[in-house]
Amino acid sequence: MNAFITRLGKAVGNVVGVLYQAGRDAIDMVLKNVLPFIAFIAFVIGLILETGVGEWLADGLSGLASSLPGLLLLAVIIGLPVLSPLLGPGAVIAQIIGVLLGTEIGAGDLDPALALPALWAINPQVGCDFIPVGLALGDAEPETVEVGVPAVLFSRMVTGPLAVVIGWLFSFGLYS
Amino acid sequence: MFDWLADAATEFISWFQRGAETFNGLVVGIVPLLIVLLTAVNALIALIGPERVNKFGEWAGREGFAYTPIRYLVWPVISVFVLTNPMAYTNGSFLPEIYKPGFYDSAVSFVHPPLGIFPHVNPGEFFVWGGILAGIVELGLNESELAVRYLITGFIVIYIRGLTTEWFTRRLWATQHDTEPAAA
Repeated sequence: MNAFITRLGKAVGNVVGVLYQAGRDAIDMVLKNVLPFIAFIAFVIGLILETGVGEWLADGLSGLASSLPGLLLLAVIIGLPVLSPLLGPGAVIAQIIGVLLGTEIGAGDLDPALALPALWAINPQVGCDFIPVGLALGDAEPETVEVGVPAVLFSRMVTGPLAVVIGWLFSFGLYS
Repeated sequence: MFDWLADAATEFISWFQRGAETFNGLVVGIVPLLIVLLTAVNALIALIGPERVNKFGEWAGREGFAYTPIRYLVWPVISVFVLTNPMAYTNGSFLPEIYKPGFYDSAVSFVHPPLGIFPHVNPGEFFVWGGILAGIVELGLNESELAVRYLITGFIVIYIRGLTTEWFTRRLWATQHDTEPAAA
C-alpha cells in the first residue's frame, strides 16, 4: 500500500512538473519573442494608420491593379525583399488594398474575374514581417533564422508573382 | 500659438495611441490563447517524449521528393486549420532545421486562402479576403465560387512556396555556414 501511494505520488508529481515546465517555457517564449514583436508592429501599424501613409501607399498601389499585367507588377513590387517586411505587419496593407480593389470591383471598374489573381497580388508579403518570430515559435536555431529570413524573402520574389499567374489560370470560367 | 502647440501635441500623441490600441488588441486577442496553447503543446511533447515526436519530424523531413508534400502541404494545412495564426508556426519544431523556413513559408501563406470557408483560422486579418469579397457581393455574384478557388490555389501556392524556400535555404546555408545542417 505504501509503495503504491509513493508511486502514485511520484507519477502525479512528474506530470505536474512537466506541465509547470511547459508553462514556464510558454511564458518564456511569449516574453522573449512574441511580446517584443507585438510592441514593434503595434508601433508601426499605429504610425501607418494614423499618419495616412497606409492610405497613400494603398492609393498608389491600387492604381496599378486594373489589369492582369498591373496585378503582376503589383505583386513584384510588394514582393521586393526590401519592401515585403515593411508592408507585412498585421496584413494592414493587404487589407487596405483589398478593400480598395473590392470597391473598384463593386463599381465595375475592375473585372470580377480578376478577383482571384487580385487576392494573390495583394499578398506576396504575407508573413514577411514575422519570419524570425515564426521560426522561433518553431524552435529554430539562430543559424536557421539567419539563413531562413533571406531564404523566405528571396523565395517570395519568385512565388509572389507566380501565385498571381496561378490565380489567373484558376480564374478561367469564374464569373463569365 | 498655444492652440497650435496643443494641436501638434494631440496629433503627435495620437500616432502612439493608435499603436497602443493595436498593442492592446493583439495582447488581449492573441497572447492568452497563445500561452495556453504553447503550454499544452510543450506538455504534450514532453509527455509523448521528444524521441517519438522527432520521429514524426524525421518522417516528414526525410530526403526525397516524395516527402515534400507532407512537410509543405499536409503539415502546414493541418497546423493552420487546427492551431490557427500565429500558433500554427510552433509545429515547425517537429521538423529538421533545414526545412523550418520552408514550413514557415507554407504555413504563413495559408493563413488567408481558407478565410472564405473557414474564417476561424485568422479572423483578425479577415479583410485580406473580405475587402475583395465586398466587391463580389456588391455585384450580386456567388461568393463561394471565389472562396473555393482561393482555397484550392492556396494548396498549390503553399506547396510551391515550401519547395522554393527550401531551395533558397540550402543555397544560403551552404554559403553562410561551414557546417552541414543537422539531419538534412
